[in-house]
Amino acid sequence: MDLAVITTLAQAQDLAGAGGDAGKAIALGVGGGLGAVGAGIGIGQIFGKVIESVTRQPEMRDEITSIQWLGFALTEACFFYGLVAGLIAFFL
Amino acid sequence: MTTRRKVFIGLGLYVLVIVLFAVIFGWTRNDNNEFQPQNEFKLGTLFSLGPVDVNKAHLYVLAAAILMCATMIYVARRMTQRPNRVQTFVEVLFTAMRDNITRGNMSDDMAARWFPFVGALFLFIWFSNLIGYIPLPTNVEHKVDILGVQVPSFALYAATANLSIPLVLALIVFVAYNTVGIREKGFIGYIKSFIPAGVPGPLRPFILALEIASNFMRLISLSVRLFANILAGHLIILFMGGALVIILGIEALGIITFPFAILLFIFEVGLVATLQAFIFATLTAIYLGGAASESH
Repeated sequence: MDLAVITTLAQAQDLAGAGGDAGKAIALGVGGGLGAVGAGIGIGQIFGKVIESVTRQPEMRDEITSIQWLGFALTEACFFYGLVAGLIAFFL
Repeated sequence: MTTRRKVFIGLGLYVLVIVLFAVIFGWTRNDNNEFQPQNEFKLGTLFSLGPVDVNKAHLYVLAAAILMCATMIYVARRMTQRPNRVQTFVEVLFTAMRDNITRGNMSDDMAARWFPFVGALFLFIWFSNLIGYIPLPTNVEHKVDILGVQVPSFALYAATANLSIPLVLALIVFVAYNTVGIREKGFIGYIKSFIPAGVPGPLRPFILALEIASNFMRLISLSVRLFANILAGHLIILFMGGALVIILGIEALGIITFPFAILLFIFEVGLVATLQAFIFATLTAIYLGGAASESH
């Protein structure tokens, strides 16, 4: 390992501040990124099931469509809870 | 020429343009601190009316309310036997609000009483989401010079992109459905109806505590869902449509992000604005219907 890194680290003026900034950036990344993973899986599943059920029972299409958008919006909102938590951690 | 080749040629041209821009303008970062586009979310005081400091969120709420009332009254006054396109659209909207959103989730005589409330919520949120996507000169932190007149720079802002307005709407809904529940079943009966049927005796207090907590969580989820959707939409349109370029000072980045901005704008206007209004109204109807029905 390059020992110069240690000297640089030791000379850093505001270690706690830099660590805090890093933590905030990680919070935003995890809040946004992992939130998107979960919501993406959920939305994919909803639309997959919708395709399945519409091909099985095409006459139910109208009813399924309205429920589909309800489910889509509810799932998508979960992503934004994570994102908002990340943004709060980042800016406050 | 096959479609596949066209796609490849198009993509190749796009990459070429990006490389050309990067070569011409360079890819060096020089941060810009003078013009900060993210100030479009700042609520500066525009003018004061006595003790009230008016900012742009107030104006957006007023604009949404006035526009909603004005268009709906205008359409209602000019109803004709053979509807034109606007009237047909409003009629489809009205039917969707009455039959799908309200009647689908509560009993018929209750639907007749609560349809104006749910419909007004839907229309208000819909209008205030939609006028949020019209660029208006609202960013008072920065001025641009148009023919010698100092105009505030153009920005997107929506009343619903601010937590307080969705929160007030959610509070109204919260009070409304709890009042309906208490009036329908009495206070004790309403609290009892939180516990689902078939829960064994010793578990009941825990389930009750959980259900009451989740009842209050509805306030958060209802307001944060709307607020975060609209705010995130505006943020991503802002960043893709040029804020990244301006903040970082990399001109060539714009050619990459701008197509995404257009796509996201279409997505937000076409789907999210309507969908969020629909969701808010539907959940209101579900909560109202659930509070009045026998068991949740």
